Amino acid sequence: MTIADGPALPKLIGERVKRREDPRLIQGQATYVDDIKLPGMLHLAFKRSDIAHGVIRSIDTSAAAAMEGVELVITGAELAEHLGPMPIGTPFPAPDHYSVATDKVRYVGEPVAVVVAEDRYLARDAADAIEVEYDELPAVVDPEAAMEAGSATLHEGFERNIAVESYWGGTGVNPETAQPEDDSAVDAAFAEADVVVSQRMLNQRLAPNAMEPRGVVAHYEPGREYLTVWSATQNPHILRTLVAALMGLGEHQVRAVAPEVGGGFGCKINIYGEEYVAAALSRLVKAPVKWIEDRTEAFLTTTHGRDLLGYIDLAAKNDGTITGLKARIIADIGAYEVLLTAMIPTLTGLMMNGVYRLPVVRHELTEVFTNKTPTDAYRGAGRPEGLYFLERAVDMVARELGMDPAEIRRKNFVPPDEFPFATQGGLVYDSGNYEPCLDKALEVADWQGLLAERDAARAEGRIVGVGLSFYVEVCGLGPSAVVPTGGWEHSGVTVERGGKVTATTGASPHGQGNETTFAQMLADHFSIPLEDITILHGDTSVVKQGIGTFGSRSQAVGGAALISAAGKAGDKMKQFAAALMTDQEVSPEDLVFEDGRIQVEGAPEVSKTFAEVADYAYVPVPLPPGMEPGVSEEAFFEPENNTYPFGCHISMVEVDRDTGETKLLKLIAVDDCGNVINPLIVDGQVHGGLAQGIGQAMFEEVVYDEDGQPVTASFMDYVMPRAADLPVFELDRTVTPTPINPLGAKGVGEAGTIGSTPCVVNAAVDALAPFGVTHIEMPLRPERMWRLINEGGQS
Amino acid sequence: MEIKGEHEFSGPKELLYELLLDPDVLAGALPGVERFEEIAPDTYESTMRVGIASVRGTYTGRVEVLEQAPPDSYRLKIDGSGKPGGVRADASVELTENGPGTTMHYRADVKARGTIARLGGRLLGGVARLLIGQFFKSIEQQVDDRAA
Repeated sequence: MTIADGPALPKLIGERVKRREDPRLIQGQATYVDDIKLPGMLHLAFKRSDIAHGVIRSIDTSAAAAMEGVELVITGAELAEHLGPMPIGTPFPAPDHYSVATDKVRYVGEPVAVVVAEDRYLARDAADAIEVEYDELPAVVDPEAAMEAGSATLHEGFERNIAVESYWGGTGVNPETAQPEDDSAVDAAFAEADVVVSQRMLNQRLAPNAMEPRGVVAHYEPGREYLTVWSATQNPHILRTLVAALMGLGEHQVRAVAPEVGGGFGCKINIYGEEYVAAALSRLVKAPVKWIEDRTEAFLTTTHGRDLLGYIDLAAKNDGTITGLKARIIADIGAYEVLLTAMIPTLTGLMMNGVYRLPVVRHELTEVFTNKTPTDAYRGAGRPEGLYFLERAVDMVARELGMDPAEIRRKNFVPPDEFPFATQGGLVYDSGNYEPCLDKALEVADWQGLLAERDAARAEGRIVGVGLSFYVEVCGLGPSAVVPTGGWEHSGVTVERGGKVTATTGASPHGQGNETTFAQMLADHFSIPLEDITILHGDTSVVKQGIGTFGSRSQAVGGAALISAAGKAGDKMKQFAAALMTDQEVSPEDLVFEDGRIQVEGAPEVSKTFAEVADYAYVPVPLPPGMEPGVSEEAFFEPENNTYPFGCHISMVEVDRDTGETKLLKLIAVDDCGNVINPLIVDGQVHGGLAQGIGQAMFEEVVYDEDGQPVTASFMDYVMPRAADLPVFELDRTVTPTPINPLGAKGVGEAGTIGSTPCVVNAAVDALAPFGVTHIEMPLRPERMWRLINEGGQS
Repeated sequence: MEIKGEHEFSGPKELLYELLLDPDVLAGALPGVERFEEIAPDTYESTMRVGIASVRGTYTGRVEVLEQAPPDSYRLKIDGSGKPGGVRADASVELTENGPGTTMHYRADVKARGTIARLGGRLLGGVARLLIGQFFKSIEQQVDDRAA
């Protein structure tokens, strides 16, 4: 039976198609970086600082170098002759940051020397045999103390440890004085307000904890002068660009491969020292080299997320109308600026407009160096922090006014007829329709029923609370004007002989399910079965160009590029089909793809099979005038703006009076990410995001002691959410398509981490409100909750 | 972190003071000691093997005895390191008469680095108590031997 004789093909867009990539991933058949083994491959191990701050006095590598099977031991200072400081991707001033420390260490885990040896264990033993002496310096741990005169400083030229200072609000900043020119409107709004809430809140430091740690294999081929780098990265094309630059190579001499990648969550955007070092040392020792991060190294050296301290003031009228926002934010960025470090906290202020009409704002941001692991993107990257601050503050105003948390939000929503909507920070929300989303969430949750249930539980002496949050976020990063790497995406679509299709995408997936969703889109576009389509990604020698996967851009930017390339390939297929049917006087414009055939619209008898046309394209006898053989097309898609998905989350928690333990009883998430290609995958993205957002609210926290020693560097000490901690999520959606891309899809990868965190904390504060509690710092540790129940106040 | 406590010994404090600062006694009493040498007056270098959980390993360190006020008190500065990380401690020891016996009060401010630091109070306190307990038991034995 050929396709042409088969049954009508169902449309797949919008269907809950199971992920095609899962069978190999869950059966151990996938290839991750650590599965790559090359002949003659050597192994790297890093000697890392065990102090937070100090000058390297001496490094004795003699014992390590003398070990049998050790190829090379090299210190940071020696390596600096081969590798310059690492590039960053933001326009902010940044101190030099070498892959391996050259003279001073600034956080526990910072590498000081590297061993190349015959096997991983030997390399590690040799690294342990390296003796390093330091002149210890006082550790800078508290970001507010770090800014005080007299604090120890990490970097020369960065007085008071300040990396970035920015201000906006009022009517702008005087470029001469860097002072606000006139923001009297902000002060006036606060002076005239009926109610003002002021709260210091910490959005605590988190460890991303991808299931697969980082890893790299580098193979420099002398003679060919060609470098191949396999890495657990979210963006192999950016890796290629940066590694080539630091190695003094052209991009034509570097192939970067992201094989199967076991989760990224933003922490695998950055190109790390270990990646540059592997490339440089492969060239130096003339052999392939491998480094695989262990879990302790992941806690110590993979970028952390969040760690923003906010001083938030929100002003409102008695009727709940929000009249002004002041936010002073201090970002503890750790010891260095890596790829996007300094940019992430700037998103926080920009997104603090939320879903509200906000007449006046004042934003102050200070990014501060401390002796901790550098921060960078972590799922949500700046938005969870901003929306947490805002949604906590809105809740506090509602509580102060005795208003329903849903109704204060409804009152301040940007109405649907004001989109596109320009915020105070200069963003333009592409589209939005908030009220139906709120109503749906209230309906799914049975909000009034929940409140009654809470009150009944309280009457029984139980400690129960309900919470609500409403977020807007920014997805589909680009455009190029705001993304330093370029904000487009690239795709290629090739119709193979036999009518099968191979497509490539630069949006390099590591859990997003592009192999499924992109195939669904092509299956519908060409009206061919899903099995006839292969989606390739993650290899710069296969995927000609690309940016990568971050900022929920796979569909909104990558999917748009795919559809554009598919359109071009489809046009060519129609031209070949028309040429095959010249005797029937068919024009390409009359043709459509239908159930494995290319046919005149409404006349299935005038048709050729997709396979016939593909075969003809590769043996085009006769070649239609003006045409080239074959069907292999590509496209770049440059979005003109970001997309702004939104959603409403509702939760219910119960706190154990005796132990202080918080149990999440319910979580309802109604998200609007525009058009949905695969609801099952969208649900999966929301589930994962919720788990991480709830993890921040309830469990997770990176803790350093006063000497800058991390005390949460294992899964024994850093509490990850477990399945048993989470309720069965109740999910629903509204659909407000974006006009920014032809798919109408906005992005959903980070939604769960943005809405759920303030939602759960709002519920916890509601639970403890009868004890006089107005704010609770995250995570909702049992000890903290117990103290509040017994002592009241704030934490 | 702070480690503090007290321990009752049966002997007089003059005897205890002498035992606690006798390199030969210490070499025998400290758990897992492989080497204990006086490298300068009141300064000792030692190699110790610890066999407990994830702080297992060989540690080399230096101990300085300061502010000696026999038979009442002294201070120790300890700096040791091994594969699982390092420890720096500033300890003060005070002996008080308690009938025929002696009560030893000790208090140490411990700064750890590496794996040891990351284990924090979760394990370090327990390990310290275990090692200190072994040490006291051994000193007690010596007190009894002298008395006999």
